[in-house]
Amino acid sequence: MNRKLGFATAAALCVLLPFILPQYTLTITVEALIFGLFAMSLDLMVGYCRLYSFGHAAAYGLGAYSCGMLLTHLQLPLPAGILLAVAITVLIAVPIAWVCTRSTGVSFAMLTLAFAQLGYAMLFRFKEFTGGSDGIDGIPRPPGPFGATFLQSKLGYYYLVLFCLFGSYLLCRTIVRSPFGAVLAGIRENEAKTRALGYNTRAYKLATVVLAYGFGGLAGALYAPFAGFASPELFFWLASGRVLIMVIVGGAGTLIGPILGGAGFLFLENQLSQLTDLWPLIFGSVFIAFVMFAPQGIWGLITSGFERSPAAARGPGGAEAPGAAS
Amino acid sequence: MDFLGFAVTQCLNALSQASVLFLIACGLTLIFGIMRIVNFAHGVIFMLGAYVGYTAIALTGSFLLSLAVTPIVVGIVGMSFERVFLRRLYGRRDGGAYLMVTFGLAVVMSEAIRLIWGAQPLGAGIPDFLRGIVLVFDQPFPLYRVFLIGLGVAAAIALWQFLERTRAGLLIRAVSQNSEMVHALGTDVDMVRTAVFGLGCAMAALGGALAAPLVTAFLGMGTTVVIDAFVVVIIGGMGSFLGSIIGSVLIAFVQVVGAYYFQELALAFMYLLMLIILVIRPGGLLGREE
Amino acid sequence: MPLLECRELICRFGALVAVDTVDMTVEAGEIRAVIGPNGAGKSTLFNLITNVIRPTAGRVVFGGEDITGMPVHEVAQKGIARTFQLCHIFPALTARENARIAAQARAPGRWRFLGGGHVFSRSAEQAEEALERLGLTRCADTPAGLLSHGDQRLLEVAMAIAQRPRLLMLDEPTQGLSIQETDHAVGMLKAMLADGNLSVILVEHDMEVVFRLADNITVLHRGRVIADGAPGVVRANAEVRSAYLGEFD
Repeated sequence: MNRKLGFATAAALCVLLPFILPQYTLTITVEALIFGLFAMSLDLMVGYCRLYSFGHAAAYGLGAYSCGMLLTHLQLPLPAGILLAVAITVLIAVPIAWVCTRSTGVSFAMLTLAFAQLGYAMLFRFKEFTGGSDGIDGIPRPPGPFGATFLQSKLGYYYLVLFCLFGSYLLCRTIVRSPFGAVLAGIRENEAKTRALGYNTRAYKLATVVLAYGFGGLAGALYAPFAGFASPELFFWLASGRVLIMVIVGGAGTLIGPILGGAGFLFLENQLSQLTDLWPLIFGSVFIAFVMFAPQGIWGLITSGFERSPAAARGPGGAEAPGAAS
Repeated sequence: MDFLGFAVTQCLNALSQASVLFLIACGLTLIFGIMRIVNFAHGVIFMLGAYVGYTAIALTGSFLLSLAVTPIVVGIVGMSFERVFLRRLYGRRDGGAYLMVTFGLAVVMSEAIRLIWGAQPLGAGIPDFLRGIVLVFDQPFPLYRVFLIGLGVAAAIALWQFLERTRAGLLIRAVSQNSEMVHALGTDVDMVRTAVFGLGCAMAALGGALAAPLVTAFLGMGTTVVIDAFVVVIIGGMGSFLGSIIGSVLIAFVQVVGAYYFQELALAFMYLLMLIILVIRPGGLLGREE
Repeated sequence: MPLLECRELICRFGALVAVDTVDMTVEAGEIRAVIGPNGAGKSTLFNLITNVIRPTAGRVVFGGEDITGMPVHEVAQKGIARTFQLCHIFPALTARENARIAAQARAPGRWRFLGGGHVFSRSAEQAEEALERLGLTRCADTPAGLLSHGDQRLLEVAMAIAQRPRLLMLDEPTQGLSIQETDHAVGMLKAMLADGNLSVILVEHDMEVVFRLADNITVLHRGRVIADGAPGVVRANAEVRSAYLGEFD
């Protein structure tokens, strides 16, 4: 009951936010929500399955570039462009996931990084399509279904992003509480045992990676028409690093933690990087501190009430048992 | 005759690249052998070596002196990092913590380098006494690269002898096989780990200082290098010293050939190779599984 | 048709032959104990049957089907459940959840990622049953990592039972248990096996446990089968006695 109330309050707050905050902050708010979605997508892999990825920027980049190219070259309503971009990202994610899940641990992380770097290189190789180092500029924000122009405005777009974020969150939450999600918990805790029980763990991991790419691609696809451009930086390793840091600091394995962490990070970055040149140094150090002393992340700390519970000592991925009553 | 000269110079080219790669990869594999972690920050350590080397030359005017000083300075930085951060993580059940912390280090160190040295690439250039060319089968070949080959071979031999013949080397090999046993015999295993981590960093830094005159020191040189070094270690086998030699030579040849024939895809080539290797043999050719 | 047949299984690690041409046949409803001195190859045999290790040569036939070299998870899907020498559980999850995941393993709905409430309730029932049989209901809500060693081993057995297997393979289930705990465990196992629906292969060092439970005994020594038959026969076998140097009886 408590949780439902909290969720409803948060939802209401978010709906009213554009009317509470000053107008000029709307842009950064939309970007913060997009980044929150991006961070949550990675949490599926890192927090629930302990698959550390150094290349999740590829998901975002794929979504952004697909959407950008689709909207620039085809006459599509906005939501269609976004959905198609997600579909493309998911399709490309399948072979990537297939290769990456062949390995575990560091090799897995390096493979994901390699794919992101490969994507980065491909952007320069196929300059004619992708615009090379300039990227795609002037991505339109076409009218929505049936010519509705609501989504073209900043306010309308805010609600679109909000809808996608909440929808994705609910979807992810359902997934992690499903029988499928229970198996992920098993893989996280003891993969060999999970396999010995009869689960094809490789298939589950593959599915998780594809799902993560799907939601990450959604975030990228939402970004492209909003910002109006897509550039190769989206694939850069530091971009993957940022989102990974946000998941860990926000609280891996909680879904909410990374959303808040991601959104909060973007706000902070926007404010602090203007004030000081030391911002990347700061967040890098904060990250190390969290990994060492508070691996359950900010949200993990909040929900465990700052006590040193067994859950806290476990490390990231302290997700609650699936099937638990909400 | 022309082709022979060309082929030989390309081989020498590859060998000189292999030397630098070996210094980095060897450090990575040593660290893995003894600590069972992959130091993701290794590429940035290499980059730090390049920058420190540049400064050392700027301060002392001597290239050779910078080659001596840089590994020591960076080695100490590495050891401090291990002592302060990595040591605390030994008891952790979650192996991902190491990955995260070394990743964080890579980010922090990248930034620190940018703040200290600025965003512009820095080049001290090749020192005078190593400038010039030698003739190989009537083909010109840079003297500096010959120097690199010589240094690489010397380093490989020195390290090999160190690991095989000295008491310290024996200790390192013992700890990488069975650290508990060595600990029970009274050795301070923690100190060995710190020392090896420092050694690994020192070697990578030496590689950086050597590479700098050729490529100049620039931000971002760390990322490609760490993937290259990782590919070398994967091919040669995690924790295998001999493997890092073989792997370095192999990868350097692939890179040289790839850059010549598939110029546009040169970058992608490296990554495709790693993908193929990891798909075929997730554990590497010679060493142990993770 | 026998439930499980091992035909000339060989497992070589370089120069070391861990399992040397082992033939073993287990009938449905049988309780078979595999014993032998340390290093005899008992756990390796288990690993060969479940394909944790691939046999160098030989075949494993389960219910008439050749399962040699089948992926570990598929072997489990065929109906073989096993426990491990080093206790393998999910430490951060509750005992109940441990058993439930095990029970879910062969349910067709295990792939559902949306909804799936009925999958949960059915597997929860099976899990509850398994926990009750092993007497673990009292600690069902405790995180498995916090249970006593004895309870953890029992939990592992409960997980194996929750899978509703045709063949249960227990690798040293009483290792590390106190005398009381062992007694308790054996009593549980005996009660459970009284139903007769289950077949069991048991690796054990504790001879008392073996003679209390087993219908037949297979003795391994240095990777080879040196005796195979009813407990009385095996007990009297001279080669077996010399292998153990008179350790029992």
